[in-house]
Amino acid sequence: MGIVKIFYKDDCPMCPMAKQLKDHLREKNVAVDDYNVGTTEGLAEATFYRVMALPTILVEDESENSLGEWRGNVPHIDEVLSAVQGA
Amino acid sequence: METTDLNLFVRTSEESIAGWDRSKIVDALIRETLIDRDTAGEISKEVEQMIRRSGIEVITAPLIRELVNARLIEKGLESSRKMHTRLGMPLYDVDSLILHPNKENANVPHGPEATNLTLAEGIKKEYALLSVFSQEVADAHMNGDIHLHDLGFVDRPYCSGQSLEYIKKFGLDLPHSLSMARPAKHAEVLLAHLVKFAAALQSHFAGAIGWDAINIFFAPYIEGMSDNDVKQLAQMLIFEFSQQAVARGGQAIFTDINIYWEIPKHFVNVPAIGPNGKFTGKTYGEYEKEAQRFAWKLFEVYKEGDGAGRPFFFPKPIVHITEKFFHTDGHMDFLNLICDVASDKGNTYYVFDRGETAKISECCRLSFKLEESDLLDAKEPWRMRYCALQNVSLNLPRLAYMAKNDDTKLFNLITERFILAVKAHKEKRAFMEKLLSLGENGPLALLTMNRDGMPYLRFNLASHLIGMVGLNEMVQIHTGEEMHESRRALKFGIKAIAHMNLLTEKMRRQENMKIVLEQTPAESTSYRFARLDLRYFSPHAGRIMKGDIASGEVYYTNSTHLNVKHAMNPIERVTTEGLFHPLIEAGSISHVWLGEAQPSKEAIADFVIKTFKHTTNDQIAFSPEFTTCNKCHRTGRGLADTCSYCGSTDVDGITRITGYFTKVSSWNKGKLGELKDRYRNSEFFSERRKAAAND
Repeated sequence: MGIVKIFYKDDCPMCPMAKQLKDHLREKNVAVDDYNVGTTEGLAEATFYRVMALPTILVEDESENSLGEWRGNVPHIDEVLSAVQGA
Repeated sequence: METTDLNLFVRTSEESIAGWDRSKIVDALIRETLIDRDTAGEISKEVEQMIRRSGIEVITAPLIRELVNARLIEKGLESSRKMHTRLGMPLYDVDSLILHPNKENANVPHGPEATNLTLAEGIKKEYALLSVFSQEVADAHMNGDIHLHDLGFVDRPYCSGQSLEYIKKFGLDLPHSLSMARPAKHAEVLLAHLVKFAAALQSHFAGAIGWDAINIFFAPYIEGMSDNDVKQLAQMLIFEFSQQAVARGGQAIFTDINIYWEIPKHFVNVPAIGPNGKFTGKTYGEYEKEAQRFAWKLFEVYKEGDGAGRPFFFPKPIVHITEKFFHTDGHMDFLNLICDVASDKGNTYYVFDRGETAKISECCRLSFKLEESDLLDAKEPWRMRYCALQNVSLNLPRLAYMAKNDDTKLFNLITERFILAVKAHKEKRAFMEKLLSLGENGPLALLTMNRDGMPYLRFNLASHLIGMVGLNEMVQIHTGEEMHESRRALKFGIKAIAHMNLLTEKMRRQENMKIVLEQTPAESTSYRFARLDLRYFSPHAGRIMKGDIASGEVYYTNSTHLNVKHAMNPIERVTTEGLFHPLIEAGSISHVWLGEAQPSKEAIADFVIKTFKHTTNDQIAFSPEFTTCNKCHRTGRGLADTCSYCGSTDVDGITRITGYFTKVSSWNKGKLGELKDRYRNSEFFSERRKAAAND
């Protein structure tokens, strides 16, 4: 199973949708790490993954290989699930 | 006030010899300090008795002052003692300065003007630490917690971005100058105005003078000129700036020229100013071909080098690589030309303006990102004048020694130092406001001149820079690994800079000041911090320090850079170092040290395109090394002890020290240590060359 990383900010217009996606994914028992780029931890992680647009959703396998990414937009949950299951 | 009959002569600071007069001590104490007349009288009598007992017949005014200061200390009047301090230098130090070169700044030659500069800087440094900054800030600088850059120029802003449009529109009309010149009619005259104005600006800024879009703004003047004449103009511009080593302290003017192949979006529809300062009726968008012609000729001159085939040290050409660049006709030919220059001479700097970003670059790496209001100013480009008021750097490794592997403590210490740096900025700002308030009768008359409805220096837009030195060593001390050694260490380094980035935003809102992070060039600061930490944090510091302790050639790694010694694929280095760049708003750079290697222009062009498209790196430069012979005046590749042409040992090494080329003989010990360590990417580029040949 892949791991989902969601990057958001308190005041970005599309970020509430990304937070909803996080809740839905967790309901389906998908591992989700969420990062608020207004915090040191969140900004550091976003910088490491070269997140230049918000929200950004990344899916990685356990070896941190990319399985999918959406930068500056929020995909349908099925797209994310498909990437997660592709691990 | 009674006087005495002491048979004593005083050598005064007014170059005269006067008879002893105790009342002068009293007058000085009343004038300069807050002590009362009775105490002043008492002190003057005590000093007089001391001198009488010594039996000397001639005494200097400075010595009397120190004797008075000693009495003030004995009486516990420390604040009065500070106010009564005399600034100056010991005879021994002045003697050394006059005889030996200053190695704090490799852009200062050795000569009488340079000595004047260093002596004046020495006094202004003392003045700054005693009078401009609070004791807390001054002590933090002196013990190496932070570094206040260019203290010798405390009465000026740090560096600046300028617009040629200002002199095109208003001519050369400077306060208190002996004559004024109307706007230039011919390209050569405009060039003369540019160089003179740059020299005037050098006297009012501590650091670099950057000129925006120089090829675009010259374009209306070169319309109709033959290619040969344009080349001649390009040659004049480069030689004028590179040989202008007669101004402040014999220093060449640290000049950057920003060059675009395309006309950037914010200038396309701007009405162009031409001869006589008049609008030509066309927009800059319509001058693209002329602007390109000038850019091309400038790089032809850079490729040829100076009379001995050496690279020009100044002006530094900064080429902006943008999305539009890749959609502009002829961009690959131009890219190949500037990459040929980069490979052969090293001059080219590549600044990457991705997306909608627009920047003006200057100094070693400083750049100003243009905000929305600045882009409105672009409609009247003579208004595009920006400056950084001061630069304060934090000694990061020291914080890790103090934190003793405690994350919370380390991040708290970073915050504390950051707040101290902001305090230093507020103090400098208050001092500058005082100087600027004196207007055209004050010391900064040039910066207050008002030709377009606002003072020349747009103080409200001034940036306040906070830099960092030795992130790599901070991470090494704290995590046990350098940033290139593990993902964990690299992430920890990013976290520290992310913390500083968020602090910047917070303090900017809180203080209503434009506070920005910058990668400190740290030409002498990384050496200074290293030496001070060896003093205060040994033996731990000795194990962390880069360079060679035995020879004293020690240093910390610059800013957020990775260990320069580590053998690393340059693409990987540029990519990894580039991760930090989006967090550092006011500018960053990655160096690709070439050593003797001379990659093909195609290999460099490929490298540049990949860097633009696949990394977040803000700026790169390729640095070859040269040996130039003072006997036969020829220049060879690589650093050598003897000339490869005539065998003479009278040679100079030349390469990039931080953000500019200079002679290695002028470098400080820390930088010499770094030079020995630098990993040259010869192997990477020679393999590329072989692969290209096989293809």
